[in-house]
Amino acid sequence: MRAVAAVVIALALVRTARAEGPQPFDQLPAVSSRGPLSVDGGLVLALPATWQTGLSTGVGAGVAYGRTFALGVRASWSTSTESSLAWTVSHDDYRLRVTGAVQRAAGRGVFALRLGLGPTMVYEDRVRNQGARAGLTGSALETTALAAMPAGELEAVVTVHVGGPWLMLMSGGPSLLVSDGAWHSGWGTLLSVGWQP
Amino acid sequence: MRRALALAALALAACGKLQGTGGIVPPLVTFNVSFTGDLTPLRPVGITETKSLQVGLVWGAQWLTEPFCVLPAESTAAAAVIAAGCRDSYGFVPARVDVSAPVAADGTASLPLFQLPTADVLIGDVTARVAYASLVVYDDRDGNNILSLSRPQRLPSGGDDGPSTSNTPDSADIIYGASFLTMTAPDQRVAYREGAFNTTGAFYPRAGCGAPPPGFSIVAAGGFTPMSALTATLAGTLPQEVPATCAEEPSATIVDVTAQAPSVVDEVGCDERTDDGSSRYREPPVDAPDLTDRVSACAHLSTFETGGLAGFDGGAVDGGAADGGAGLETSIVQFVVSGRSTDRCKGLTHYTLRGCRESVTCALPDWDFTAKPPSWWTCH
Repeated sequence: MRAVAAVVIALALVRTARAEGPQPFDQLPAVSSRGPLSVDGGLVLALPATWQTGLSTGVGAGVAYGRTFALGVRASWSTSTESSLAWTVSHDDYRLRVTGAVQRAAGRGVFALRLGLGPTMVYEDRVRNQGARAGLTGSALETTALAAMPAGELEAVVTVHVGGPWLMLMSGGPSLLVSDGAWHSGWGTLLSVGWQP
Repeated sequence: MRRALALAALALAACGKLQGTGGIVPPLVTFNVSFTGDLTPLRPVGITETKSLQVGLVWGAQWLTEPFCVLPAESTAAAAVIAAGCRDSYGFVPARVDVSAPVAADGTASLPLFQLPTADVLIGDVTARVAYASLVVYDDRDGNNILSLSRPQRLPSGGDDGPSTSNTPDSADIIYGASFLTMTAPDQRVAYREGAFNTTGAFYPRAGCGAPPPGFSIVAAGGFTPMSALTATLAGTLPQEVPATCAEEPSATIVDVTAQAPSVVDEVGCDERTDDGSSRYREPPVDAPDLTDRVSACAHLSTFETGGLAGFDGGAVDGGAADGGAGLETSIVQFVVSGRSTDRCKGLTHYTLRGCRESVTCALPDWDFTAKPPSWWTCH
């Protein structure tokens, strides 16, 4: 008897849920974005700038101005650590970009193709494994270096107007960097929250 | 403002060399050795030249000699076996052979070390542990660029049970000197210390000397006499070094190694099968073992070796195991044989009529000839 009652209740709940269906479009939070300026910032996941392995994680932010064609600047920092028998090496990748984007609105969304060009600075920190235990100090234990390299990336950007001036952005695409006269390909992604008044 | 812009431009143009995980790996430490002496008169018979003189870093083992070698000999025959078959109880015993480097024509050598000693050669707990190493000069005659150790050559066992009892041929490498040979002679040794230093530790003790500095260092001690070691042991203390002979120096200190006859320094290259002071027993073969160039004796086992039992009937010696480990004689007799005089390493073979490889008083013996000993057995 109890089992029958439970099944009836469950079916009733299912029917109720079906009856509700997706939220009508006109009941979603209203979008108030009207201006050409947008600001965003969020989580960066990318291939380390000069390594062809590992994952560099960090944060990034940018400003863009424009409608169909938008110009902007972006900056990001991400870090990754790799090790060998002798070394533990951390790379902090600082990316500064001037960006240009072509974008098109579709409902609450905006699809864009964004090209970024600028320097990538890599701060390298190398620690000799077991060096501290062995009593090494100074440069025998740890060395640092800073290098700046020209780089760029082409990203696909999807922006969704969540409500009011708030946006959610996802972007990603291939990147290219010149280091020691050689081209290094890579990729990068960004998941961020934006604001467009 | 202009300065800020200039700094920004400089930062953008920075072109430091990134090395990643590549590049030259610097050693954690480099030891320097100076080897002096003429090898010509020291070469063993049949050796006319030095193939490749090298210096090797050998980490020391925490090793205890077996009771037969330290207890008073019960007979002159047993004393002769001890003299022929027991290594120096205070000698340096290798645990692990580390890197080697060639000795230059002027006798100098630099020995870079790229890895810390492994945990198995560090003695102590994680808050206070230390490792000691000897710098061994040798002729690398097998050409493998590392000191190859030898092991004592033992007589065969009568049975075929248990681990292989076959002998490994002696190493072809010839040792001509070591910075740390025995605790009863002056030494210079490599020390590696992590954490605090346990001054009561009996691992190649240097009581009376300063503690090795943290990390790598070269420490020295003048050595103590066997009698002072015995006296100190009975008093429950460590034998004292003469402070004036002690030194605790940086790792860059040049370690002096003097050429010595291989017969004097061979033991530093002798590996041991056990390091806990226990004896290994063998089943008497049916036919008499080849005793050519060996010294043998019948000797009673001590309570150290029987776990306090007085005999195979299970009776306990007065006091038994509770005798404080005084090492009293039992009624169990062994036939103990030394190695050959030509062997690189000293060692003993223990035959007993009954027992197991690791104990003569095991409940289920692997062999038992007490009722009918082999015809050649003369120990009663």
